Amino acid sequence: MATANDEVRKKLKALGTKVTKEIENKESPRIEIPVRGLSNVEYDEKTGLLKLGSQVSKRSFLNYAHARKFMQTMLVANFAYNELLKTGIHTSLRDMFYALKRTLPNSNENTFEEQIESDHCVVDLEVSVDTLREDLHLSADVRGRVVGPVTIKDRGDTINWSKLGSGGWAIPSNVEDIEFKKVDAKFILVIEKNAAFERLHEDKYWEKNNCILVTTQGQAARGPRRLIQRLSTEYKLPVYVFTDGDAYGWYIYSVIKYGSMALAHTSDRLGTPDAKFLGLTMKDIEKYKLEKYTIKAKPVDIKRAKDMMKYDWFQTKGWQDELKRMLEKGYKAELEALSSKGLKFITETYLPDKIKNKDFLE
Amino acid sequence: MVDIHKDFAEHSVAEFFKKNRQMLGYSGKIRSLTTIVHEFCTNSLDACEEAGIPPDVFIQVDKLGQEHYKVTVEDNGPGIPKKLVGKAFGKMLAGTKFQRFQQARGQQGIGGAGCVMFGQITTGKPTKVITSTGNGTIYECRLTIDIKTNEAKMGDEKEYTGQMRGTRVETELKDVLYQKSDQNPDEYLRRTALANPHAKITYINPDSLTTVYDRAIDAVPPMPRGTQPHPKGVTVDDLLSMASVTNARTVKSFLSTEFSRMSSAKAEEISKQVSFDMNKRPKDMNWEEAEQVIGAIKKMNFISPPTDVLIPINEQHLEKALENILKPEFKSVLTRPAAVYSGGVPFIVEVALAYGGKAGLPLNGNPEQPQNRMEIMRFANRVPLLFDAGGCGLTKAVQTIEWKRYGLQEDLPLTVIVNFTSIHVPYTGAGKQAVVDNEDIIKEIRLALMDAGRKLGTYVSGRRRKAESEARLKELMRYVDPVAEALHGLTDTAITKLKKELKELIEAKYSAGEIEEGDGEEEEEVEELEENGDSE
Repeated sequence: MATANDEVRKKLKALGTKVTKEIENKESPRIEIPVRGLSNVEYDEKTGLLKLGSQVSKRSFLNYAHARKFMQTMLVANFAYNELLKTGIHTSLRDMFYALKRTLPNSNENTFEEQIESDHCVVDLEVSVDTLREDLHLSADVRGRVVGPVTIKDRGDTINWSKLGSGGWAIPSNVEDIEFKKVDAKFILVIEKNAAFERLHEDKYWEKNNCILVTTQGQAARGPRRLIQRLSTEYKLPVYVFTDGDAYGWYIYSVIKYGSMALAHTSDRLGTPDAKFLGLTMKDIEKYKLEKYTIKAKPVDIKRAKDMMKYDWFQTKGWQDELKRMLEKGYKAELEALSSKGLKFITETYLPDKIKNKDFLE
Repeated sequence: MVDIHKDFAEHSVAEFFKKNRQMLGYSGKIRSLTTIVHEFCTNSLDACEEAGIPPDVFIQVDKLGQEHYKVTVEDNGPGIPKKLVGKAFGKMLAGTKFQRFQQARGQQGIGGAGCVMFGQITTGKPTKVITSTGNGTIYECRLTIDIKTNEAKMGDEKEYTGQMRGTRVETELKDVLYQKSDQNPDEYLRRTALANPHAKITYINPDSLTTVYDRAIDAVPPMPRGTQPHPKGVTVDDLLSMASVTNARTVKSFLSTEFSRMSSAKAEEISKQVSFDMNKRPKDMNWEEAEQVIGAIKKMNFISPPTDVLIPINEQHLEKALENILKPEFKSVLTRPAAVYSGGVPFIVEVALAYGGKAGLPLNGNPEQPQNRMEIMRFANRVPLLFDAGGCGLTKAVQTIEWKRYGLQEDLPLTVIVNFTSIHVPYTGAGKQAVVDNEDIIKEIRLALMDAGRKLGTYVSGRRRKAESEARLKELMRYVDPVAEALHGLTDTAITKLKKELKELIEAKYSAGEIEEGDGEEEEEVEELEENGDSE
């Protein structure tokens, strides 16, 4: 623990020393940050993961468009260095935001106006000094839950995921130190929506099918992604992803499988290249005659679908057809549309059929 | 018959005045007061200039009662010899019939007499005149116009010894009104001072506020020369008026001797195009025949008229006047070369753009954050035109300029000055406050304004860049403390040293007002699609 801490502190101090030297030499002080965004993300076919390209942007204090972000990045670096790593305290992104927010002298301007600004600085710092948020002792809000035949050890407590009542286990932001004691599952089912997760949990789907049920509750946060990856690789468990039938849902699958553009530097820790997409697909809508239960696609859905069609990691025939069909039909469907066939249709017909027939969209 | 003529004579002057008040500039209570000030002031400036004396004019407007005022104007001019006083102030219509072909301020002949008449018919009181040619004797009288004889009548005449040179008039007026407005005597005199930098003007307004416009230049501008009219600039009426007083014996010789650029060959050419014998006496030419002559002239070409008869304010003098009165932060002044409108009337356009300082019209009364919009000042032969702005060709020319093309917004503290100098100002009406919308004139004004506009645009955009640079400097300075504290936390470097060095870096870059290539470019943003999952 202490050595990992020292390692990160050394990196942060090196950043400060570099900037201080530049100031001393009357050069424009700058932080070099690998560009995070589509233009600097590559799909690595060998690993099946997104990785960060070589483009680096320079955040210069003397460039007025960068100055504010430069100041913010330095504040975050100092906060992690002195307040967290030096004392061994962990905190949330939200706490850090409040700890660093203050009004600048002679102005109405605050060091940070919104939390999103400090959140961005953390990721910038991660890629810039090559570390991880977890190693900076920062955590995000808890989001994502899990149930299933698994027993773990977390900070000394033994927890059985099958004995946690209706709520399941809330997945923490940092799952690095979780110890798996016993894993009896045969596969992992990842569900986008909490409501569907609860439905399946109530039906004891996981018990009947001997699987682990995870809900990401929207776009997957780091904790659930890392947890899915660990379970999948450490226990060779297949991963099936079940989302709404729209571009947003499909991209949740993409992030779980390939990693995200924003965190492409850490895809190898967060991505699960073996994950399979189970549904909901446009084909499903036709196959199960769900047209009546579709929703008209909004302009933002169309735009996302069009963007995704261009991504390197969506260049398979299956996905191109799927996206094209969505654009043609101009509709989308929530996974609950399947319940129009009866409340147990998902658990008794849809999922077993899909898994048995290996009816995955690839 | 005799009685009728007698009646006519008895009432003519007063009737003429009453019927033609508007025509003489006496429409409306506010305007009438400004007109009185204008007439007396013009007389004073003209008198001084004719004598080569740098004008020093004192004007006072006192409020005596409800719509009841007294106007006093005093100058340091040559003074009026006793025997000419009546002629100078009393002759109501003297000279108005004839157009003088000479650059001159405003309304010839009617001015002083009109004021006397106005005072007389609204208050029943005479105008007090005090004058001396500087010979040690001062002459004073109370002057009225006898409407029976159309002659000036001097009452209470006094002569006494004293040192004075110049003329002072005092007239009481009713049915006039002084108001806070950009058409009142205050504004009229401010603009008069702008267009006459060689004059010192001292003014006390009805609120007893004294304003002194000091002379910006010492030299008195040369008197404009008179010239013969150019054929192309003459109307049928002008032609007949001139024919009625000429000494020439035939129409042909009248044309070839009394018009500029009219050779006898040209007169001969005209004679071939008209149906009457041009050897007849000019006095015998009737309206139709005069029309034929003008018609023939229209079809012919003449050499352009001489332009050296025009005396503009000139660029240096206008610049000095701007500095003196508007104290602008930046000015762009331009006198165009002489041009000709309607083929025969020479004119010169001058424009000035004054930016900042006292330029522009205040939009709100908040001195903390003054807001301004463009102000247009029109002048004809140095006389401010305060009324009928909407119908004036000078205004129109200013409004056709696309100021935005030069990076100038309409809400700038900007004063646009247009001075139109000509031997004949083509007014739209008898009120003489608006110039016709003439293509030749508009074109000249536009050319001048575009040139001046470009120069101002360059200045303003430079200024804007500088302001931006200053704003950025200020913004960056705000970040010095947090950055220094963070670096101190990371490296233990002394905070004071870091702050000092950071400030120096910012100042070195942003004080110069220069911004480097690539500055201000944003970094690439992360895809919006993912915002939701990775943060929070």
